[in-house]
Parts: sequence; C-alpha cells; structure tokens
Amino acid sequence: MKLLDIIHDANLNLLRNKLRSFLTILAIFIGSFSIISTSAIQAGVNNFIDSQVESYGGDGYLAIVSKDSFDALEGLQGTIGSNSKEPIEYNPDKIQDGMTPITKEKIEELKKIDGIDADSIVEQKTLSISYVASKKTDKKYLIGAEALPPGNVKVDTVTGEGLNLKADEYQILLESKYVDALGYTNENIINEKIQLVVVDQFKKTEKKFDAKVVGVIAPGVVSMGYSYTNNKLADDIYDENIKYYPPEYKDMTVAVAANYDSEKYSAQEIKDKLDDIGLSAMTIDDIIGTIKTFFDVILTVFKIFGLIALLAAAIGIINTLFMSVQERTREIGLDKALGMSSMRVFFNFSIEAISLGFWGSVFGITVSMLLGNLANNIFHAEGGFLESFPTFNLATYTIKDIIAVTALIMFISFLAGTLPARRAASKNPIDALRYE
Amino acid sequence: MTKALISTHGLRKTYGKRNNKFDALRGITIDINKGETVAIVGKSGSGKSTLMHLLALLDKPTKGEITLDSQPTAKLKARRLNAIRNKEFGFVFQSFFMNSNDTVLNNVILPLKIAGVSSRERRRRAIAALKTVELDDKRNNKANNLSGGQKQRVCIARAIVNDPKVIFADEPTGNLDSATGEKIISLLFRLNREKGITLIIVTHDLELANKCERQINIKDGHIVSDSTTDTELSDNVDDDTDNWEDEEADTQKFAGDNNIDGMLDHQPHITHIDIDKEEEE
Ligand SMILES: Nc1ncnc2c1ncn2[C@@H]1O[C@H](COP(=O)(O)OP(=O)(O)O)[C@@H](O)[C@H]1O
Ligand SMILES: [Mg+2]
Repeated sequence: MKLLDIIHDANLNLLRNKLRSFLTILAIFIGSFSIISTSAIQAGVNNFIDSQVESYGGDGYLAIVSKDSFDALEGLQGTIGSNSKEPIEYNPDKIQDGMTPITKEKIEELKKIDGIDADSIVEQKTLSISYVASKKTDKKYLIGAEALPPGNVKVDTVTGEGLNLKADEYQILLESKYVDALGYTNENIINEKIQLVVVDQFKKTEKKFDAKVVGVIAPGVVSMGYSYTNNKLADDIYDENIKYYPPEYKDMTVAVAANYDSEKYSAQEIKDKLDDIGLSAMTIDDIIGTIKTFFDVILTVFKIFGLIALLAAAIGIINTLFMSVQERTREIGLDKALGMSSMRVFFNFSIEAISLGFWGSVFGITVSMLLGNLANNIFHAEGGFLESFPTFNLATYTIKDIIAVTALIMFISFLAGTLPARRAASKNPIDALRYE
Repeated sequence: MTKALISTHGLRKTYGKRNNKFDALRGITIDINKGETVAIVGKSGSGKSTLMHLLALLDKPTKGEITLDSQPTAKLKARRLNAIRNKEFGFVFQSFFMNSNDTVLNNVILPLKIAGVSSRERRRRAIAALKTVELDDKRNNKANNLSGGQKQRVCIARAIVNDPKVIFADEPTGNLDSATGEKIISLLFRLNREKGITLIIVTHDLELANKCERQINIKDGHIVSDSTTDTELSDNVDDDTDNWEDEEADTQKFAGDNNIDGMLDHQPHITHIDIDKEEEE
C-alpha cells in the first residue's frame, strides 16, 4: 500500500464520522488559531520594533553623552520621551539643566576603545530649544529636536514630503504629538511655520526661529519623541546655543552617536568601558527594551494558552481515535487476516491522527490570516487604534511561522495518535474477527 | 507419502490461562493435498474455526506443527506469514466481513491494496474477479446495498482476486438461505475445478460437506473421522456420540484436571497436558 493510498484512506475514514472528526478538528483549530495568531502579532511587533531599531542605526547603536550630562538627559527623556502623549508646557521659571560637552580629546579616546566602530562616530548637535509655539495657540511646549543624523533617512512620516537636508530655509519634521497641541491637523500643518524659541536665561532674551513643517513623524512606540531639523536650522540654533559659551567650548559637542560591535561585546561591557573614560551611553535596548519585553511577555502568555488548547485537542485526538479503533475492530481484523502488517495498521491510524492535525492547523491558520488582515485594515482605518501607526501591521504572517506551526501541530497529533494506533496494531486478527 | 500442501502434526490449541484453560484442539494430525476439497464438520464449539485459523496461519498452535508446502511455519517471521496469507490464501467468512460503506470494487481490491499493487492493475484484477462471480455490473454499488448472496459472492471475488492456492471458507453458507447457499457452493466448486484452488470449508451443513471429496469430523477438539484417511476412528465416533451430552457438560472439567476419559485409548499423548502451556498468545 502506497503512502498516497494511506493518506487517501485516512481522510476517507475521517469522513466516515464527519461530526466526530469535525469536533476534533475544531479543538485543534482553537490551538492552532491562537498559536499562529500570537506568532503573527509577535512578528508584526518585532518587524515594527526592528524598523525602529533600524532607524536608530541597528543593534549596535549607542547614544553617548558625558557622564555629568546623563542625569540631565534622563530628565529630558522623562519629559519629552515617548510615554507622554501630550507635550509638556513650557515653564519659564524652571531652568533646564545644562549639558556638559564632550571634548575633542574624549572623542579621540572613544575612537580607540575596542569594540567601538571609529567610523560610525557622529557628533550630534542636540539642540537646546526652550519651547515651541504657533500662531494658532498661546500655549508653549517643551520640545526636543536634533539634526537628522546623516545617512539615516528612515524616519516614517505620516504626511509631508520630508526634509530637504540642504535646503536654505528652516525645515522641521515634527513629532506627531505637537500637531494637535499647536492647533493643527496632520494635513493642514504641512508647509505652515512654527516658532522654535531659544531663551537666554541670563540675558532674558528670546531668539525665534520660524521653521517650516515639512512632515509629521509617524508615532513609533519606540520613538524618543524627537523632532528632526534640516542642517541649516540645526546649525543656526546650535550657534545660538553656544553663543555665550566660553570660546573653548565652541568646538565641542554634547552628544555623540556611535556603533559598537554587538556580536562581540555585551551592552554592559561597552558601557563599562565608556564609564572608564567618563562617558555614559544608552543602547537600543535601553531605549526600546522595556517595550519589547512587555510585548514578549504578553504574547508568550497567549502562546502558552494556545499550547494548552493544543494539549486538550491532543486528548481529543486520542479519544476520537480510540473510539474509531474500537468501532473498526472487525475491519482491522480483516485487514490483518488479509496480510496487513501491524506496522501498516499503526501507520494508518497515525496518518489519521496527523491528518486531523493537518486539517485543524490549515483551518486555524486560514481563519487567523483572514481575521488578521481584516484587523490590520480595521485598525488602520480612520478611528482605528492603529490609525496613527500606519507602518505598523499588527498581524504579520511569515512562511516560516506557518510551516512551523503546521509541523508542530502535526507532530503533536502524531504523538497523540500513537496510543490508539498501537492499540489498533496490536489487535489479534482472530479476536478482532470474532468481535461483535 | 505424497507431498501434502498443508500438513499438521499433533496440533493443540489451548485458550485461556490457569483455571480458565480450555483445550479447543487436542491433537490434530492431517494432511491436505493440493486441489483437494475438504470439509471440516462438527457441532458448534467443536473447534472447527480454531482449526481453520491455525491452518490459515491466522493463529499459532499451542503445541504441534503446521507445514505448508513441506516448509515448517512455526519459525516464520510475521512479515512472511502476512505475505503468505495475502498472496496464497483467500478467505470467505460466515458474516462476510466487508467494509459496508465502501463500494463493491474497493472491497474486492483490498488484498491487492495491502499487497501494494498499482491502482490500475488492481482495478483490472478486481474487475476480472467480479466477472468470475458475475457481479461486475455491481462494482460501483455500495456493499451495504447488496443481498446476502451477492455479498458472499463479493467476498469470494475478494478471496480469488490474488489467485490463491487455497480458499478457507468458514461457514460460507451459514447466513444464507439454502437456494442462495447452493449457488455459493457451486461457485466455490467451480473455482476448485477450473483453477485448481484447494478448498477448506468449515461447515455444519451436511449437504455442503457431502459435496466435498473429504470430510473431517471434529468433536471436542479431536478428529473423530476423516473420510479419506482412516475408518478406524469411526468406531469411536459412536462412543463419543453416546457420551456427547456428558462431555459437553464436562468440558471445563477436562480442562481443569487434564484428564480426558474416553479419549485416552486413541490419543494416548493427550493424557497429560503440560502445566506450562500458559504462554499461549
Ligand atoms: N479466544 C477464545 N478464548 C477462549 N475460548 C475460545 C476462544 N475462541 C474459541 N474458544 C472456544 O473454543 C471452542 C472452539 O471454538 P470454535 O473453533 O470457534 O468452534 P466452532 O467453529 O467449531 O464452532 C469453543 O468452545 C469456543 O468457545
Ligand atoms: Mg466456528
């Protein structure tokens, strides 16, 4: 008997008791549906996070400031970081902490550290802007902005054409949470001018920069809440920032971006090395790690539910096949009397179990994919909770996941099927033929 | 002595263990030749089916040996036994044993499918077998929708589809009315005449038995008469028949105290049944 015969007969046998097979497949369906769905969501989230990581420059990304600045930077993160949905209002009485610059010598030291890619070091002009304002509102908000890092153009925008780095006018890619606060919508803010203001705390003077909004940044769960400027705007604000610095500071930078060899060194090892020369760094994991962990935990919980459902389904398979072995005792007896080997009988029932698993997983995966794509569309539609995350597909189905889930379920089904299949194989043809 | 197709020596079959021991066969020695038509007759419970199952290599004797084509079968591997049953034997049972939801054709195909014959070839051979039993026009019917006689003909088609040397038939007419039974019987004898297939038919239908060249009469696991080999035993048939009622009642007792009165004279080797006969199955 050839394999195709066996598969064909196994499926015919499943059809002999349609309701029972259907219910068993339904149980497997629940398990396969939950597992493939969580895998799809996990893949979606990971894709999204990866694209965010990518926009920072990959796994080895380091945001480096001098140790003294680190607390100040963390404070800044707290106010403008991703967790606050609304921008924080400007309070003129509260003086912002200053940043301690990184000297040229420090950067030379940094270049020599083993594991740091010297060519990747970029001195970042982290701009010190006191507040942002618009003509549509009286409110003033704290804002963090920096020049778009060179070679890094992967900032997702919702609307607008994006930055022209070399443009002669002032341009800004605005973090999306400011749009509403400044009295605009994503559409009508494009090409409008907003004011970036630098206040000198000592001289009590204000310097205004009218920046044209050329794009609204798609909110990312991992975004640091920064807006990005073109070079001209960054240069002029920076000049304003250091105008009153002592001359020896003028050549310095407060933040440096660099890449380290993340294969060879752990984040902590690199941080320790930097600490030795008085620098502090944030890695990509510091920035997005908690979010990733959060999703991983939730999805793992769902996956465990899926596995539990599969275990229940496996018991369903065992039960179904035991009933079927019982019912088909005479048939098995006849098969064996006519020369079918015990192995073959075992194989027949195993294939039936595997077929149950196969159909259950095909069913589960198909329904999950239909619902997943529907959900992606609904969530991205107006009013959907992912409306403002147009680049985030909640459910992403990969061939690898689909094959892995199907294979896993077929394997579990096979294991479940071995018990009844062994009972069938061990039937004695005489006893089976005498069985009424 | 001519070379027998199947021969047995001192076959014994004990069912159950310890106190539930029951000797279904108590020493059967026979030779069955190629092309013979043999009826195994006897009352219900006398051990006919048990003997047939042993001859058909469906079961193993507790003691004694079976040779097929002069080859001892006791040490044959399961795979070889399966192949022999699949290729050289055909089976017909009293209660048909068909997959009633399947088509007639698929039922006939079964032995070829087990043998791994290609689907085109097995279809061809199954249709030929159905022609022999004059049912090829019913090949796509569900087996369930056939009459009893037609079902048994389908079973005969299934039994001959692999061109067997021997057909084992256990009460082939048991579930049929006598007219239909006649047809089945003549079909079986035609196969014997035309294809030389050896027939071993278990029956308690005397009419059917008398059509066979040879009748082996079994009682309580013994051969009480064999129409071709000896007449000596037939004397005892009377004795046994006289005691029939008593023995029926005492069957369990025989099994228990291993002492078979009235049989000792003819089968002295049975006087003592090994206690260690428990590893049956
Ligand atoms: N598996 C078994 N276990 C115990 N006793 C059995 C078994 N099979 C048959 N027997 C007993 O063996 C005796 C012979 O049975 P069987 O060969 O079927 O008789 P027959 O076919 O002549 O009617 C019967 O008494 C029957 O009850
Ligand atoms: Mg019987």
